Amino acid sequence: MPARKVIDRITGNVMAVAAIGSASLLIVVAGALSVRSAPFLLTVPVTDIFLGSTWMPDEGHFGLLVPIVGTLLVTAIAMAVAVPLSILSAIYLAEYATERVRAKVLPLIDLLAGIPPVIFGVVGVLVVVPAVASLAATLGPLGIPFFGTTDYNTGFSVLAGGIVLATMVFPIIISISEQVLRAVPAEIREASLGLGATRWQTIKHVGLRMAFPGMGAAIILGFARAFGETMAVLMVVGNVATIPSSVFDPAYPLPALIANNYGEMMSIPLYDSALLFAALLLMLVVLAFTVLARLILVRIERGMAHG
Amino acid sequence: MDRVTEERAMKGLMIAALTIVVGSLIAIIGVVVWKGLPSLSIEMLTETPRGGYYTSTGGGGILNAIVGSLYLAFGSTLIALVISVPAAFALQDEYLGRTRYAGRLRLALDVLWGTPSIVYGAFGFIVMLYLGIRASLLGGIIVLTLLQIPIMIRAMEEVIRMVPREIKEASAVLGATRWETTTRVVVHQVAPGIITAVLLAFGRGIGDAASVLFTAGYTDSLPGSLFEPVASLPLAVFFQLGMPYPEVQARAYTAALILLVIVLLLSLASRALAKRFRKNILR
Amino acid sequence: MTHDATAAVNPIRIKDVSGFYGPSRVLDSINLEIPRNRITAIIGPSGCGKSTLLKCFNRLIDLVEGASYSGQIIVDGVDVLGKDADVLEIRRKIGLIAQKPTPLPLSIFDNVAYGPRIYGQKDRAELEKIVRHYLEVAGLWEEVKDRLKTPAINLSIGQQQRLCLARGIAVDPEILLCDEPTSALDPVSSQHFEEQLKLLKEKYTIVIVTHNIHQAMRLADYVAYIYLGELIESGPAAEVFENPKDERTKAYIKGVFLNDLPPEAGERSGSNPEDFGGRDEDPDVQHGRILVPGLSEGD
Repeated sequence: MPARKVIDRITGNVMAVAAIGSASLLIVVAGALSVRSAPFLLTVPVTDIFLGSTWMPDEGHFGLLVPIVGTLLVTAIAMAVAVPLSILSAIYLAEYATERVRAKVLPLIDLLAGIPPVIFGVVGVLVVVPAVASLAATLGPLGIPFFGTTDYNTGFSVLAGGIVLATMVFPIIISISEQVLRAVPAEIREASLGLGATRWQTIKHVGLRMAFPGMGAAIILGFARAFGETMAVLMVVGNVATIPSSVFDPAYPLPALIANNYGEMMSIPLYDSALLFAALLLMLVVLAFTVLARLILVRIERGMAHG
Repeated sequence: MDRVTEERAMKGLMIAALTIVVGSLIAIIGVVVWKGLPSLSIEMLTETPRGGYYTSTGGGGILNAIVGSLYLAFGSTLIALVISVPAAFALQDEYLGRTRYAGRLRLALDVLWGTPSIVYGAFGFIVMLYLGIRASLLGGIIVLTLLQIPIMIRAMEEVIRMVPREIKEASAVLGATRWETTTRVVVHQVAPGIITAVLLAFGRGIGDAASVLFTAGYTDSLPGSLFEPVASLPLAVFFQLGMPYPEVQARAYTAALILLVIVLLLSLASRALAKRFRKNILR
Repeated sequence: MTHDATAAVNPIRIKDVSGFYGPSRVLDSINLEIPRNRITAIIGPSGCGKSTLLKCFNRLIDLVEGASYSGQIIVDGVDVLGKDADVLEIRRKIGLIAQKPTPLPLSIFDNVAYGPRIYGQKDRAELEKIVRHYLEVAGLWEEVKDRLKTPAINLSIGQQQRLCLARGIAVDPEILLCDEPTSALDPVSSQHFEEQLKLLKEKYTIVIVTHNIHQAMRLADYVAYIYLGELIESGPAAEVFENPKDERTKAYIKGVFLNDLPPEAGERSGSNPEDFGGRDEDPDVQHGRILVPGLSEGD
């Protein structure tokens, strides 16, 4: 067999190993986490884990309800803030902005995507937290449900966490949504405009309808990102292990739980196992959402190719 | 509301939304510069923290974090590069791209791409326990490498996939093997794109905190050996920000500024390369 | 007699209209009068600015990046190309049937009802009447009356074009522009479409751009020959076809017969520079990929 063919075969195999090996990281990571969480799962009853609201590892209480609820709340607030702002921005960029505006703004959005989480945290601590504190001071006494507060609010809260997360999630939703909107064929747009529809009517009745699956996928990916973010949230959310009853209350999301306690992991029995289970939980949730979103996006990409 | 008014109202909302989004970016850069610039000095950049414990008030700078981050990022990026480049090419049609399990490979890599860095940190922790390594430069590099591989592969893949099939066919028709086509033809087309992918992953490696939190430790000194803890810029910010001593906080802000500047430079470089890439690619 | 009298009243006046794509001029000082309630065919080889002229009529030209125009198109005393013109109203009054049938991604019913809905018609019963009426006028009602709620995309291409016709006249325009409306259709569908057009001229002023001379001969009352952006000759169809005054017209018309090609009812027109708007050039879309932030290659 000529040398060239041999080289081709060998290099091909090496490359395949690299690819398959990298992909199987997924199984390795998930597997390792599962193995190490097993002791925890086998010892503590599942109901205690998910529904128990006491987190006192030294006494053997590993109720994850508080962190789970905290994570969900922070993520929900983040999405509530991010989704409207992102979709509106994406529509503007895709449908109304001139090429010059797009050329200037789209790179900025990309830049936002690349900023390290810890910097979001810094700005969160310096700007968002005090802002939330003063907001709490004005809104608290009004007694609006979920917006109440005790006498002194530090600002380290679910709301602060949500706002910081929202800024981290903007680029994902905007970028994908903008692309799917632009993908609406020009003829269809022209058909609608030619009938005398305004641009907004065209977007509302036709564009959004066609872009809807893609936007859905974008939002799902954004959710996954917000769910798993550790550093930025850690710095502004207060890290108090209670279930928040108001947006001004602190919380203790799952990533924060893990990050804050890894130092003591080995000193208490089952602690490391519990925390690693928390990590596994994070991974599984993000996995589910990522798979869902990618399935939608792949379907759309196929449509675009044949389009 | 008649339709013209409705459109005007919506446009107003949209511009407001976009202003908030862009405004947040500007606010972030503004705040970091505002806080970090005053503390910026030669001393800051060239000395390690003095006085023993890293939250001490003895003055000094953040050289430990700067160098530490560079070591971590370069180390992990290099290793990740060596694995990712072959892997990215392997996913192309002429190699594994057409097999039954190609879809599953891609999906797995996508999931890994979206996996939070703290999960990688936790996994790294397990690996280190298993291997008997303490929190160290080596630990940090291992975890960052794992974090970067999916990012690099995906970024490279996006670029390689854009190479028009005709180009590869033109080479194959002449009797070239896949390896020859890849190395002599495709690589030239995608080189800038590969570099962009590397820059992107490097940025992640230098800016990520959650993964190195467990695995790289922290220290006041410059990186010694692979097996000693190493400082990093994100952790320099995180650990020193909350301290009630202005000198310590100053180090945190400067570290944040340096981090931001690095990320900005990487982004600019990426963009410049992407433009060149767009010009070179045959359509 | 009465017919010709109304036709002569209040024609559409195209005055010195020029069109540009960037620096290149695709329409050169067109001066033309288009009579009401007649079919005027604009003929000439593909890619010579005819579509551009149509796009000027309903200001769709505004959407094309880099396109500019000058001159006036006076309809009922109003200059359509004017800066202050009410573009939305213009587009209601002047409908356009494009070359490639483009059903909206909605049901058949919703396609036809789209126009009226946009203008505020909400009453269900009214909409049903409107949809039925215009589908009948377009000659499509019998074929689709049982599946109005099904997606329009499932229709055959000939039916889609008739749907676009129904949709276009459902907004009650006065003028109907047709840009090579049958070039994407097979001969049978083309014939159907042409028959509908002939019936429509009672109510609407029709301008049809076609590179198919035989079609023009079948349909047109008036003809304008545009070559390389310039209006070469215009007049009543009989005159232009039988006794062309300009040498170039003669050459074009004779050329068709000399080449002895069968009527190109199903032929696709070639690649028109006018067909390329700004958006189709979006490189990311062309490749059919969705890029995620942080990984995008920049714009």
